[in-house]
Amino acid sequence: MTSSYTGNRREIQWKKIGSRKLKDTIAKGLSYVVLGMMVVILVSIFIYILDSGASHITLTMLITPGNTATGGILNAIVGTWELVGMGLLFSLPPSVLGALYVVNGRSNGTLSLVARLFTDVLTSVPSIVIGLFAFIVLVQRLDMGYSLIAGGLALAVMMLPYLMRIIEISFRNIPKEQIENAYALGADDIRVASRIYLPQAKVGMLSGILLAVSIAAGETAQLLYSAGWNNNYATGFTHSGVGYLTYVVWNGINYPTTYSHYLAFVSAMILILSVTGLIAISKYIGRRQ
Amino acid sequence: MKATNRIFNFFTFLMAIVPAVALISIFVFVFQESLPLWKFSGLSFFTTYLWNPGFQYQQPIIVHGILAPPGAQFGLDLFLLGTLSTSALAILIAFPISFLITLNVELYLPARIKKFMVSMIELFAGIPSVVYGLWGIIVLEPILFRNVEPWMAQHLSFIPGLKGEIYSGAGLIASGIILSFMIIPIVTSVIVNSFDSVPKEVKEGLFSLGATKWEVGKYLTTRYSRASTVGGTLLGLGRALGETMAVLMVSGAVTNILPTSFYSATNTMSAAIASLLDSALTDSTRMDLAALAALGVVLMAISLTVSLIGRKIAGRGSLRGYEGD
Repeated sequence: MTSSYTGNRREIQWKKIGSRKLKDTIAKGLSYVVLGMMVVILVSIFIYILDSGASHITLTMLITPGNTATGGILNAIVGTWELVGMGLLFSLPPSVLGALYVVNGRSNGTLSLVARLFTDVLTSVPSIVIGLFAFIVLVQRLDMGYSLIAGGLALAVMMLPYLMRIIEISFRNIPKEQIENAYALGADDIRVASRIYLPQAKVGMLSGILLAVSIAAGETAQLLYSAGWNNNYATGFTHSGVGYLTYVVWNGINYPTTYSHYLAFVSAMILILSVTGLIAISKYIGRRQ
Repeated sequence: MKATNRIFNFFTFLMAIVPAVALISIFVFVFQESLPLWKFSGLSFFTTYLWNPGFQYQQPIIVHGILAPPGAQFGLDLFLLGTLSTSALAILIAFPISFLITLNVELYLPARIKKFMVSMIELFAGIPSVVYGLWGIIVLEPILFRNVEPWMAQHLSFIPGLKGEIYSGAGLIASGIILSFMIIPIVTSVIVNSFDSVPKEVKEGLFSLGATKWEVGKYLTTRYSRASTVGGTLLGLGRALGETMAVLMVSGAVTNILPTSFYSATNTMSAAIASLLDSALTDSTRMDLAALAALGVVLMAISLTVSLIGRKIAGRGSLRGYEGD
């Protein structure tokens, strides 16, 4: 009697474990399939873009300016880095100083929290709305026209919150004792900032800057109506449109000639290489820290 | 010495509120630009899907005290529907994938390649939006048009919305797929981070009670750190709502034609702003620009609300949901 009961129970338990194990096996298999599928998709996008770019690239494209249908893309390559540089110029100083305020123990806690909340929220403003804002205020009201400054500021609005957060985190990684010691020795905030925060967080800041640059280099929506476009190089900071690579991809693929498609492919290849290259360098530097 | 320090501190404070000033001025200026539209259209902006800039070469007329081209009519329904449906589809695709990827890298995959796999998935976020658009036009759309959508129309037509004509690969399905690629890294990294922050004792406790890996994974993501899972998904949704270029390139960018099935071309608020602003500049009454600014205001309100809720939920920490259950 007793033995048959135990046997029964064992059987039930065994079945239960069996079905649970089966579920686990299914989940395991499915998760491998999904991960593998995503890796295949990612690799295939990369290979496709790199292959179609590499098979249509010519030297002329790289050394002449053009209008996305004829000529080359040198004006777009130069313009992309001009815009990103301008964006960095406008966003880096406020990011560093703002992050100093947020980590400074003496600043008002509530204000720091509010500042950080707004910084977070700013990252979720749609990029086209930033572009629209830049168009309404900078291009039209301040009468800059499509220009390097308008495009750079539009990019800066997007880079600012990323930079500020990353720099803040690299400031917070500095050992607290070191900062407290400096204050105890009578250093003021300026000295602590210039002798401890900035030199100690150098590597983390550089990694953050590279990441922000990589994001900015791939942006389009902010620039359409702030930087505009230029078939040649920008001639000044205002009232002169700027070309950029993402525009060539967008316009080139919508323009019905084979050569414009080639220009789009080559631009996409350059973009994907520079963006992922920057991300890789940024991660490598960040890991060594 | 003290004075310079005080000036320095005040200066850092000014710089710390630059993001707040930027955010508020974006909202104020875009809203101000949209004011004529609210006077012109009123609530009908929310109740019609027709978008018509009017006859711009005729004498402007005065409607509700506002100068506008004759025949002008603006409604956001088509764009709102497109934004919501493409983002919803993107989340429907992205969430299960992110969930399974998290389970895999956390529980099944050998620990030494976990980091490599996570950074690989994060690379999806590094691909510029226009490059996704390019890939979508050249690779994805033809596959959808020739293979996937005809199969769906034939075999899945019992599901409402999956029956109907196939026009081209561009539309809701292509947009949803591309958007899901863009948000999978966001959702995945939030869920993976919350999984990593679960105390070792909890994980080991579950295993010692005889739970299988699947049960541990399911419990931790849907119960123990449910808040982070939901919050991360909402952050992804916020990103999808505002995405512009990729969707502009693969959505079909229609105006004035409501979708009849999942295969129809669509359009979103952000894509509409990007594609219609150029022609809006020819409107001398600036009404067309005001209408696009109004789209921007609504879009910004929606995506900021979603992201704020997401941040709030995720910020409550991974312990929530554990105490209750």
